[in-house]
Amino acid sequence: MSRASSRQLFDGYLDPRRPHAGAYDEMFDPVDGVRTAYKRLHDSLQPLQPADLTTRSEALDRALVDQGITFSLSGEERPFPLDLVPRVITASEWSRLERGVVQRVRALEAFLADIYGEQQIVADGVLPRRLITSCEHFHRQAAGIAPPNGVRIHVAGIDVVRDEQGDFRVLEDNLRSPSGVSYVMENRRTMARVFPDLFAKHRVRAVGDYAVHLLRSLRAAAPGVTDPNVVVLTPGVYNSAYFEHSLLARQMGVELVEGRDLLARNNVIYLRTTEGEQRVDVIYRRIDDEFLDPVQFVPDSVLGVAGLVNAARAGNVVIANAIGNGVGDDKLIYTYLPEILKYYLGETPLLPNVDTYRCWLPAEHAEVLDRLDELVTKPVEGSGGYGIVFGPDASPKELQAQRRRIRANPRGWIAQPVVQLSTVPTKVGERLQPRHVDLRPFAVNDGEDVFVLPGGLTRVAIPEGSLIVNSSQGGGSKDTWVLAPRASGEDAELRGPGLGTPAVKPESTPEQGPELNAAQQQQQQ
Amino acid sequence: MLARNAESLYWIGRYVERADDTARILDVSVHQLLEDATVDADTASRRLLSVLGITPPDGSELDVWGLTELVAMSPETGSIVSSIASARENTRVAREVVSSELWQCINAMWNAVPERQRAARRVGPHEFFTFVENRAAMFAGLADSTMSRDDGWRFLVLGRSVERVDMLVRLLMSRVGDRPTSPGWVTVLRSAGAHDTYLRTYRGALDASRVVQFLLLDRLFPRSVFHALQQAESCLEDLDHGPSARIGAGAEASRLLGKARSDLEFLQPAELLDNLTGRLQALQATVRDVGEAVSRQYFHAVPWIEWNNTEVNL
Amino acid sequence: MNWRLRVVHTTGYRYATAVTQSYNEARLTPRHDDRQNLMVARLETIPPARAYKYTDYWGTEVNSFDLHSPHTELKVIAASVVETSDQPPPSAEVTWVQLKSADVLDTYAEYLEWTTYVPKHRELSAVARSLRRGRSPQETVLAVSKWVHDTLKYQRGTTGVHSSAVDAWQAGEGVCQDYAHLTLAMLRAVGVPSRYVSGYLHTKPDAAVGETVVGESHAWVEAWTGEWWGFDPTNDISIGHRHVWVATGRDYADVSPLKGIYSGEAATAIEVTVDMTRLA
Repeated sequence: MSRASSRQLFDGYLDPRRPHAGAYDEMFDPVDGVRTAYKRLHDSLQPLQPADLTTRSEALDRALVDQGITFSLSGEERPFPLDLVPRVITASEWSRLERGVVQRVRALEAFLADIYGEQQIVADGVLPRRLITSCEHFHRQAAGIAPPNGVRIHVAGIDVVRDEQGDFRVLEDNLRSPSGVSYVMENRRTMARVFPDLFAKHRVRAVGDYAVHLLRSLRAAAPGVTDPNVVVLTPGVYNSAYFEHSLLARQMGVELVEGRDLLARNNVIYLRTTEGEQRVDVIYRRIDDEFLDPVQFVPDSVLGVAGLVNAARAGNVVIANAIGNGVGDDKLIYTYLPEILKYYLGETPLLPNVDTYRCWLPAEHAEVLDRLDELVTKPVEGSGGYGIVFGPDASPKELQAQRRRIRANPRGWIAQPVVQLSTVPTKVGERLQPRHVDLRPFAVNDGEDVFVLPGGLTRVAIPEGSLIVNSSQGGGSKDTWVLAPRASGEDAELRGPGLGTPAVKPESTPEQGPELNAAQQQQQQ
Repeated sequence: MLARNAESLYWIGRYVERADDTARILDVSVHQLLEDATVDADTASRRLLSVLGITPPDGSELDVWGLTELVAMSPETGSIVSSIASARENTRVAREVVSSELWQCINAMWNAVPERQRAARRVGPHEFFTFVENRAAMFAGLADSTMSRDDGWRFLVLGRSVERVDMLVRLLMSRVGDRPTSPGWVTVLRSAGAHDTYLRTYRGALDASRVVQFLLLDRLFPRSVFHALQQAESCLEDLDHGPSARIGAGAEASRLLGKARSDLEFLQPAELLDNLTGRLQALQATVRDVGEAVSRQYFHAVPWIEWNNTEVNL
Repeated sequence: MNWRLRVVHTTGYRYATAVTQSYNEARLTPRHDDRQNLMVARLETIPPARAYKYTDYWGTEVNSFDLHSPHTELKVIAASVVETSDQPPPSAEVTWVQLKSADVLDTYAEYLEWTTYVPKHRELSAVARSLRRGRSPQETVLAVSKWVHDTLKYQRGTTGVHSSAVDAWQAGEGVCQDYAHLTLAMLRAVGVPSRYVSGYLHTKPDAAVGETVVGESHAWVEAWTGEWWGFDPTNDISIGHRHVWVATGRDYADVSPLKGIYSGEAATAIEVTVDMTRLA
């Protein structure tokens, strides 16, 4: 019976004719069958009937919609698609990944501090100066702004993928305002409602306390202030990530504000409230640099706060993440990360990059143009999967257009081999099928420690064979489970010493009202 | 708190109450239409529409179904569905100041609307009205048990109270033309959820003047105009953190409410029916003025500033 | 020759209706270097505001201030006393080959790139290349400046804040800003790193001590041919004791003397006056 249904759910799963069959599947090893990490999950899913899966999937969608976990796509609100099957990462895989992410964030912090300060790395000839000055997100307006506790990357999202061997590689860094962490938390809450039995069989590390870490980092950013006033700055309710802005503000217990709620006077930022003006010390902003301050950037921006940049320069307010971080997540500068790591930390990367060609360098430029039909070309800046051209899928006409674009602006493009993102079983119709995933772990830097939220956002490309996971391109997400190591204190993350001693016997039974006695009842009948 | 959020909470209070009261009024009216064949459906429907401030459609004759579609289901301003949508939108933009339970209550209500509409079209409109009333009751309960008694709460209750006065006045307006012995007065009581309480208070004697008295003046019943005015007044009092005024009222809204409340408070019950229509219209005007005064005093939301840039030539 | 000069520069805006909020940045303070010594600098605004000073990416001193009470006019008065001397002729000399070296291309990348004010233009580049023929980089700078000086006719009010080098060239006339941009466009076309300089010019070479003359807000260029050195294409003269420099950048946008934002209706610039007095 269970064999039959298993055959149904996983029917044709490892079909050798599937696209990108060489990709690493995280549940099945082609030789040894189910991998250890997924053993219990597989055993729990196996006995399920397809109808059962559908029921749960409907419950999941309803839970998401009722909680308002949606994103806007061309002005319309849609439930964020969450796949039923979680993605599992073992304790040892995670600890390697975590160390790699921390290393990267530390190096990039040092890099940004240097670039907006003395530019020692350029003076020492490690990086060409032109690499920095030609970066669109190198904001000269931010030169000389020194954050009080030295942190510029309060939150980082490092996108990683697993290659054909199953090794994690970094695809890109997001140091401006990486989004998606709200889905990490809400996915978990929702999954726990719908699949309580799965959680009972696994020891999954918690993700619910992200806001605590974020608030600690934001408060630490204003070291001179006794009780810093932190606000979250959103472009407004029509922004696609508004849900996240509101969730983070709520979980941190701070005000969610729009630019018009803030006012700069003599380089101090104030919040307008019904009780008058209130000084603001730290702004966790989710507005792009270009719209942040009409004095310094786009002059007709109505989203920002006039005078904000100079208030930060004067040290009266901290902007998190800092202005100009985009220079650290430029995809061309990304290719120099090994040099950056070596220069600032004297270390080699714990997480390798994906092999990348730089159209900027004449030698590699020629190779890219030669092999355009087998490479993926990406713009060096920007996200959301926009502008990416998959050589193998492109028509000769598209390739020609792309060739022209690269020739016109070689600094603007990099190329990578078609990376075979790993696959994880995903519910497609009535069955489970391999679909490609990436992972965005979130790191929070409070100046002392870099905390990496165990898990992160797993995005999954729903169309068969698709390698584009962005939600703006029809991608979904998965709950990401980092398993706690066996026999460790990790599972006590949410448990500390109690407030009091648990009572051994009930102190007193709850009181009851007067009892209507049976005789009374009988007579009344 | 942010003026923007204060305004949202005030309107959440108003819209939820409006949806609830509209459902109650409609529920009872629809059933009266169905039970009493002597009533002319079209005339009664049009009277109800005008009381609710909805423009009646030209031409086609209205029946129970047409009325329900218009007042409950259509997305037009003033309908139950539009009130629910507005309440939800206001909650969405003020999510960080309302509890998650409250948000989920409103959001789930909003999400369930299409399904409930389909059900209502199948089994009758009562199903839909009950859904709205239940959700509104749930909302009130969750607000009561999950919101701090801070300014946010006060704005919510203020909005609810102001809307309650407005809707009760509209309800009474719909019946002012009825005979004192008309069974329509029972309908009024049922709409306000006051039937049982009224019967207990007046020991069953049904009489138009007493019904009006009860709904306007009763000091204990929470859905009376007097009680709602008093509650709104006390919210405003608590909201005013400025130094207390020694002469007159500190703010326009408080003054208006206090005046309306004391007009009712010290009225001889016998005088109530003299010029009832005038009194109700005055109350309605008061509600409108209070709304404007509150918005002037508290909701001076900052407009987007349009910046111009300048540069000096050499 | 050494001079000591007092510069009093008055500028600002007049608004059609009262403006309640405005944020401004002034780049009006002369700088220090081998040739120029800043003794005193003061910035005053009417209505009064507290200015915040910082040094920007280009090394310019910026005074930033904001106003929050209704005003229909903003006046900014920058006063300073500087000691100036003549620029010695450039000593270092590079070859065209050296200018093409990877090192130079990288170090001076920002001063070789095209900007909105200094756009790439085929014809202009061709002219620049023809001027380069047979000349060293240093000689080319002088030749280009001379060409610009002869090509443009000095005419106030014909070009606006936002005209580019090409606009001015096509119009055949312009002000010092346009002379500088056009020179930059041509120097960059032949690969000479060059930058925009803003400052003041004392207009009377034989002024007596204590005499106040009407000076000018001025702009010229600096080129790198082994070292940075300046030249004034508007007057076709080298930089001397009558020049007071304030800021350098890739083009006008990096050094604009007064810019800001305000909420309200149209603003017009008030009449700019620059009074320069030779003190010694």
